Amino acid sequence: KVFKPVKMELKPPKYKLMTEAQLEEATRKAIEEAKEKLRMPPVLKEREPIDDVLAEDKFLEGTETTKYVFTDTTYSVPHRERFIVVRETNGVLRKATWEERDRMIQIFFPKEGRRVIPPVVFKDENLVAVFQQDRHEDLLNRCIAQFEPDSPDYIRVSSLVISLGLERSRLISGDHRLCVHTCFFIPYRLPAILVISFVCCGLDDATSLITLYHMLHPECPSAKETKEGNLQGVDMIKVFANTESQKEGYIQLALQAYEETMATSTAS
Amino acid sequence: MALAGGVALLRLAAGGLRGPGSLLWAQHSRDATATPTTSLPPQAPLRFCSRQDAPQPPPAPPSPYQEQPWEYLESEEYHLLYGASPVWLGYRRNHKGAVPPQRTRKACLRRGKRVGNPCPICRDPNLHVHFRNVKLLDQFICPHSGVILHPTHTGVCMKQHKLLTKAIEQAQDHGLLWLQVPYVPVPREDFSNQHPAIGRTPPAPALAPGSYWYPWYEWQQPPAAAVARLRRLYKGFLKEEARPDAPPAPSAEPKGE
Repeated sequence: KVFKPVKMELKPPKYKLMTEAQLEEATRKAIEEAKEKLRMPPVLKEREPIDDVLAEDKFLEGTETTKYVFTDTTYSVPHRERFIVVRETNGVLRKATWEERDRMIQIFFPKEGRRVIPPVVFKDENLVAVFQQDRHEDLLNRCIAQFEPDSPDYIRVSSLVISLGLERSRLISGDHRLCVHTCFFIPYRLPAILVISFVCCGLDDATSLITLYHMLHPECPSAKETKEGNLQGVDMIKVFANTESQKEGYIQLALQAYEETMATSTAS
Repeated sequence: MALAGGVALLRLAAGGLRGPGSLLWAQHSRDATATPTTSLPPQAPLRFCSRQDAPQPPPAPPSPYQEQPWEYLESEEYHLLYGASPVWLGYRRNHKGAVPPQRTRKACLRRGKRVGNPCPICRDPNLHVHFRNVKLLDQFICPHSGVILHPTHTGVCMKQHKLLTKAIEQAQDHGLLWLQVPYVPVPREDFSNQHPAIGRTPPAPALAPGSYWYPWYEWQQPPAAAVARLRRLYKGFLKEEARPDAPPAPSAEPKGE
C-alpha cells in the first residue's frame, strides 16, 4: 500500500500491451520505486549556526543603506559546498546564516514543493488546526519538502507531529517513510504500536520492535531480563508485557489470540 | 429645458429693468423668488438635470457577518436560500449565443453601481471571501482533483475569482484547507557539514580585529633613506617639527608617503 491513490486531474486511462519480459521489467521498476518511497529521511542533530566573519572593512561604513548577498551560482556545485556571503552596512563581510542560505538556494535553484519563506503552517498555533483534521502524514510530507533534515525547524515540527500522531494512533501503519522514526518515540507509545504490529504483521515484526527498543534503552527491566534469560519470540513479548504496566491487558489478549491460531494451525 | 430657458429669460428681463419706469410684472418678479408663479401649477422646486442632484438610493447597511463570515454558512437563512448545494449552483450567465465567453465579467460593482444579474458571491451581501470560512472556499474547489474551478463553470466575476484564489492559497498556508503535497524524495547528500563553505574557517592571519585589509590603508613608517633624501632636498624650507617620524596629525595635510 505504498502507492496510495492521489488526487490529480482527471485524464483518460492509458492501456499498454506488454510481453512477459516487459511486464517483469515494469514490476521490477515499480518495486524499486516503492523502496525509494520507503527510504527514511536521516535523523540528525541540529546543525550548528554559522557565524564566521571573513573581513571587516571599517571604511565601507555608511556607504550603502542595504545588505548585499553574494551567492555562487555554479551549477555543478552541491548546495552544501556553495559559498554564500553577506556584506553588511557596517562593512563586515560574513558567511550567510543557515536560514539565509536556504532562502538563497531556493531562489536560484528552486525545488518542487518548497517555498522561499516557510509557510505559516509550521508555527505552533497553526499546527493545532492541522492536528484537528487528522492530517499528520500530509504535514510530515510537507515538512520534508520544505526543510532540510538537520534544520531545527524540521526537528521541532517532525518530533511534535510524530509524538502527537502516535498518541492518537494515526501514524501506526507501516507504509510511509517515517515508520522507523516512530520507533524513536517508543518510551511512551510502544505498547500500542506493539499490539497493532503484532496483530497486523505477525510475530517477527513484534520481536524486532522489542529488540530495537532494548538497544535504545538498555537500562529498562525487560531488556535486562531478556539478556539474562536469552529469551526469544513469544517469551520476550511475555516478559515485556509483564514489566510494562501500560496496556498489559491488550498485549495478553493479543498473545492469547496468537497462541490459539498457532494451536489450530498446527492441529489442522 | 424650454422651461429653464424661459425662467432664465424672465430673470434677465426683471434684472434689466430698474428704476421708477419698471413694469409691474417685473417688480413683482423682483420681489418674489425667481420661480414663475403666474401660469404654472404649484410644483416641487425645479432641478436642473445633473447627476449630483438625482436621488441616490440609500447605502446598504453593513452585513452582520462582517467580522465572522463563517457563521453565515451555518445560519438558517443560508439553508433556506441554498440548502445543501453550493452557492454557484443554478446561476446562469447572460450572454449571446450558445458558447459563453471564456472569461466572466471583470467586476459586478462598477463605479458604485451593481450590474444586472450579479455573480453568485456578489449577489449575496452576507457572503464574504475570507480565508477562515473554509466551507465557502471548499465549494469552489473540485472535490475529485483538488483544483480551483474555472469562473466559466461557477459564474463568478474575475475580481471575486482573484480574491478566491488568494483566500484559498492563504487557507492552505494556514493549514485550514487540504493541499496536495507533491512527493519529494529524501535528499542523498553529505550531511557532515565539514566543507569550508559551511563549517568554521580560521580568520585570516593578517586580519586582526581593527586592522585594515590592505596595509597601505594605515599609516606606515616611511623608509629612512627616502626621508633623508627629502630632507636634503627641501633643506631650506622645512618647518621645525618636534617629532618628525610620528604619523601626521589629522588636521595637517597628508603629503608624500
